[in-house]
Amino acid sequence: MPQWISQHCAMEKMKMFSVAHKTVFVVDHCPYMAESSRQQVECDVLTKSRAQGVIPLAPVSKSLWTCAVECSMEYCRILYDIYPKDKLINYIVSDSEFHILNSWRREDQSTHELMSALAAVGPPNPREDPECCSILHGLVAAVESLCKITELQHEKRTALMDTAERVANRGRIICLTNAKSDTHVRMLEDCIQETILEQNKLAAGSDRLMAIQQCDLVLVHIYPQGEDTLVSDRPKKEISPLLTSEVHSVRAGRHLATKLNILVQQHFDLTSTTITNIPMKEEQHANTSANYDVELLHHRDAHLEFFKSGDLHMAGTSTRENGLKETVTLKWCTPRTNSIELHYCTGAYRISPTDVNSRPSSCLTNFLLNGRSVLLEQPRKSGSKVISHMLSSHGGEIFLHVLNSNRSTLEDPPSISEGCGGRVTDYRITDFGEFMRENRLTPVSESAHDPSGKLPVERAKAQLERHTRYWPMIISQTTIFNMQAVVPLANLIVKEALTEEDVLTCQKTVYNLVDMERKNDPLPISTVGSRGKGPKRDEQYRIMWNELETLVKTHAGATDRHQRVLDCIIACRSKPPEEEERKKRGRKREDREDRTEKNGNKETDDKSWQDSERLKGLLDKEDQESEVIKDSPDSPEPLNKKPRLTTEEVQPLEKAKGPVSLLSMWTNRITTANSRKHQEFVGRASSVNNKFELYQHLKEENGMDVHENGKTTR
Amino acid sequence: MPTIVLMDVSLSMTRPVSVDGSEEFQRKNLAVHGLNMLFEHMSSNYRLEFTALMAFSSLWELLVPFTRDYNALQEALSTLEDYDKTCVESALNGVNNVVQQEWGSSCPCQVVLVTDGSLGIGKGSLRHSLQTLKQRGDEKKFPLPFPFPTKLFIMCVANAEELQMTDAMDNLEELLRLSGGDGQIFTVEGPLSMKSVQAMFGRLIDHAYSTFHAVLHCGNLSSDVQVFPRPEPIVVDEEVEPMPRTVSADLEIVGFIEIADISSPPVISRHLVLPTAVNKDVDEVGTGATDELEEEPSASQMAGKSPNFCVLLHGSLKVEGMVALVQLGQEWYGMLYSQADSKKKSNLMMSVFDPGPEPLPWLGKITHLGPISEAAENPYGEDDSKSPFPVQPQVKRSYAQNVTVWIKASGLQTDVQKILRNAKKLPDKTQTFYKELNRLRKAALAFGFWELLKGVADLLERECTLLPDSAHPDAAFQLSHAAQQLKLASTGDPQYAAFDHNIVPMHTDFSS
Repeated sequence: MPQWISQHCAMEKMKMFSVAHKTVFVVDHCPYMAESSRQQVECDVLTKSRAQGVIPLAPVSKSLWTCAVECSMEYCRILYDIYPKDKLINYIVSDSEFHILNSWRREDQSTHELMSALAAVGPPNPREDPECCSILHGLVAAVESLCKITELQHEKRTALMDTAERVANRGRIICLTNAKSDTHVRMLEDCIQETILEQNKLAAGSDRLMAIQQCDLVLVHIYPQGEDTLVSDRPKKEISPLLTSEVHSVRAGRHLATKLNILVQQHFDLTSTTITNIPMKEEQHANTSANYDVELLHHRDAHLEFFKSGDLHMAGTSTRENGLKETVTLKWCTPRTNSIELHYCTGAYRISPTDVNSRPSSCLTNFLLNGRSVLLEQPRKSGSKVISHMLSSHGGEIFLHVLNSNRSTLEDPPSISEGCGGRVTDYRITDFGEFMRENRLTPVSESAHDPSGKLPVERAKAQLERHTRYWPMIISQTTIFNMQAVVPLANLIVKEALTEEDVLTCQKTVYNLVDMERKNDPLPISTVGSRGKGPKRDEQYRIMWNELETLVKTHAGATDRHQRVLDCIIACRSKPPEEEERKKRGRKREDREDRTEKNGNKETDDKSWQDSERLKGLLDKEDQESEVIKDSPDSPEPLNKKPRLTTEEVQPLEKAKGPVSLLSMWTNRITTANSRKHQEFVGRASSVNNKFELYQHLKEENGMDVHENGKTTR
Repeated sequence: MPTIVLMDVSLSMTRPVSVDGSEEFQRKNLAVHGLNMLFEHMSSNYRLEFTALMAFSSLWELLVPFTRDYNALQEALSTLEDYDKTCVESALNGVNNVVQQEWGSSCPCQVVLVTDGSLGIGKGSLRHSLQTLKQRGDEKKFPLPFPFPTKLFIMCVANAEELQMTDAMDNLEELLRLSGGDGQIFTVEGPLSMKSVQAMFGRLIDHAYSTFHAVLHCGNLSSDVQVFPRPEPIVVDEEVEPMPRTVSADLEIVGFIEIADISSPPVISRHLVLPTAVNKDVDEVGTGATDELEEEPSASQMAGKSPNFCVLLHGSLKVEGMVALVQLGQEWYGMLYSQADSKKKSNLMMSVFDPGPEPLPWLGKITHLGPISEAAENPYGEDDSKSPFPVQPQVKRSYAQNVTVWIKASGLQTDVQKILRNAKKLPDKTQTFYKELNRLRKAALAFGFWELLKGVADLLERECTLLPDSAHPDAAFQLSHAAQQLKLASTGDPQYAAFDHNIVPMHTDFSS
């Protein structure tokens, strides 16, 4: 074992264009491959009740060809399960000539494609002239094929441009044959070496071909059971700097299957895990359950921690009866996990069951494919249990997730409430939640081309930009986003393009607001930071209109229709400036009587504000596109804010008007909170000094204007 | 990334340093001064880092286990005693044990080795260790490379010329190479003095302990943040892309995904995202102590009261059970989410995915994720009952498509039995019978296993003769039809042995 561990420590991350990128199978299709493997399969397993008087069918036996094909297909099955992309196989059959069954193209990479092509080839013809047949045809074709560029090689070469030489061309040839002798094997090796040199010369002058930098030959000599082998095993050796070769001499049948299973693990850095204690219902006794084990293959990095810590042997590795295979044991854990939990996962590796259609295997895989996840437990030396892995499927693929089971270096961090912005309590959490839902992502098919030429992810970012042009973060910073009545407009205005209908809806929203103002409906305006009951009703509406204008202005430049919405707002809110001024002065005069301490300032403030506002209106008309206002004009200037750039942009502040009592702060908060939850009584909403005249309609019927009346009596 | 400081307390560290005019220092004093500076920097700018202090001579001792209490570390420095000779190998073994015990073998760790470059004599000296490197059994393996990813920083209280006079520099370079090469050797520039040692530690701080400041963007909303621990550069493929990729200082949110859809993705690192006050000067690192400490309380109180986008984002992510997908650089993404610890404290965290266009197969290519508003109908459904994720692969995996494998005899027997079982229930099970029959036929043709086709044909014919009198007349017709078709296929005649051809049930007067 120590030997193995040190190998893992030294293991490098697999390179994109390692030998594993291209694998060529060359399978012998010469007449002698039609010979029987002499391993017999009893396929007529009779049930006891009918055994009487029936002669069972003679057992069938597979040919060497059948053995070679099914074991190579098993190799491919495991490979495609674990590396569905960019670990490619080219399958070649050799008899009197070579037959290439597929290409390096991604669409040709599936077991179904290969099975179909193999069916067309059929078993070797035992009557064919053995003199014309040779594995050499296939081996030469394999070298030629290794020189052919793959899609990934092409893509990377194109992407790297002047450093295209970084794209390497390496590959492996797995040759399944029945060789005559060691000398025969040497002859095959020499021939491959020569072909590589020839082909590399050809490749030097071609764009579609690449010279081979490294080729690993794995020659598997297959012979029937009960015979002695004529070819000896030989570990990997270097034939030339370009070619290495190894020879495996294997009996057909079970032994060949085991050998190719070991090879696929070696070639693609796989390892085996056995899930133990899987509870399964018995077919016969539905109410009892027995425990089963299922073996899975996956990339060995899933056990990196075991390998490194040297804990491997104790961690449940068991040596199988054949002594060739190691497997790590993980125990099924009954408390299942739910999908809402975000586990800290350091890796996820695709799996392939070793025995794919055995009942325990398919039970486990179906369970997972139905969307359930299982936590796995790693037995430790101390006897303590650690949940170290999780099996879970995503879109019909099963992954072994590696969970972090070590102490976290990020433990006990300061809470977010202790940091910047942590003391603010009125964030628009629900509204931002809604915003996130609207900005969720969805896969867009690669063929769907956008006329703007932008990638979907860029369009997603553009949408985020539009949706956040005006987005106050806290409740007390905004009025319009606390009003149900503004929702239709607020939702529509952020769109990239508006329909006529959208414009109409926006306009309706504006009219509705005008109506509310006329009716003197209350607004959910924040009174935090201001003394007393906060601003007067018409002041509230002024704040609301300003904010709405700010929101719409940030989008007005997008299209004419957006602009029309802005125009509508400006038109609807505008009263002849003189009149407004006059009204204001009038109101101010009244104010002076009850609030003496600050009115002087206020008036000048208001006046200068009005001037700048008028000026701004003019400027805006000229230059609306460039205008992006991030904060509400009426929000208190945030602390530590960067200085504004231009004077035009300076907005009047609702200055903090001295200290506020806790009671009034609390009452205001509750009032604003409550006002959002229900529609205000008409009476209270349009009350004057908390008084409301009942049975007004009686007067109205008499032709009196109640609202005007209400105002004038103030 | 935790740090372990490995302090040489051998006698050679007590060698005096001649400083003209002022009081005399030992090299040890200089080293302690440098480390104090490092600890001060960490306590003010890097205070979430776990650090341990180990002293070594021929033996090693863990003076302060991993902690964030920098006072404790500084205190321990002030009480260092002097011991015998330097033995780096045993100290590294100590580091290996301590780190693995605390953090396991996958957590990256920084080792700061402080020495004067006199690396011991005779057995146990670094020279001896390196010379005998290849003559060791597995029991006494040299501790480097450590099983955990390591950054080894060697701080020499000596200047480069001094080290090059002996083989000390060569040995240290070899040590660095053995550790995996991810680290650096620092030497004093110019004559030894408080100042020059301070400058050397300043370089270490700049190199390894500078804070990572970034701006988190979500459209026009943004927040200045510190990312801790700082994200390290990643080499994707040594051959094709040897230049390491670094995380951009602009972290751009591209959209949002439900936790169930992102589904516990594998990540290469996790980081806290801590909002920083907007106009607070970016900490100039390398200068050590900061004099703004006094202002800290009021400044941080003010910062606490002004709204910050991170807090808003965190609150909503937590309430909605979502993550924000964030772009870290070209073809590099991560996710932001709310992480709660056991004490009900929660935080904004960022996990970094593997660099590349498609880090999570079940999301597809990230560049091909678009806003839901573009879809003809909401892919999440009007009531959030659906989801466009996971993305399905084009080809099903073997375990999801009922493949045929006959490597074990039992696999073949099961498939034959399935056909026979259905044969006995004809004509009720006609469809399943032919489905299983065709599956076997396809595999037998692909594997060139014609003998099996003949065998199964024989079995079906025998079943036909064994049919009880009560059997439906259709059963006999179907059995002999199926047997005949298999026999034809077993001749390899292209008309009957095509892979994509299926045997269809015989049309009889009974079957309609």
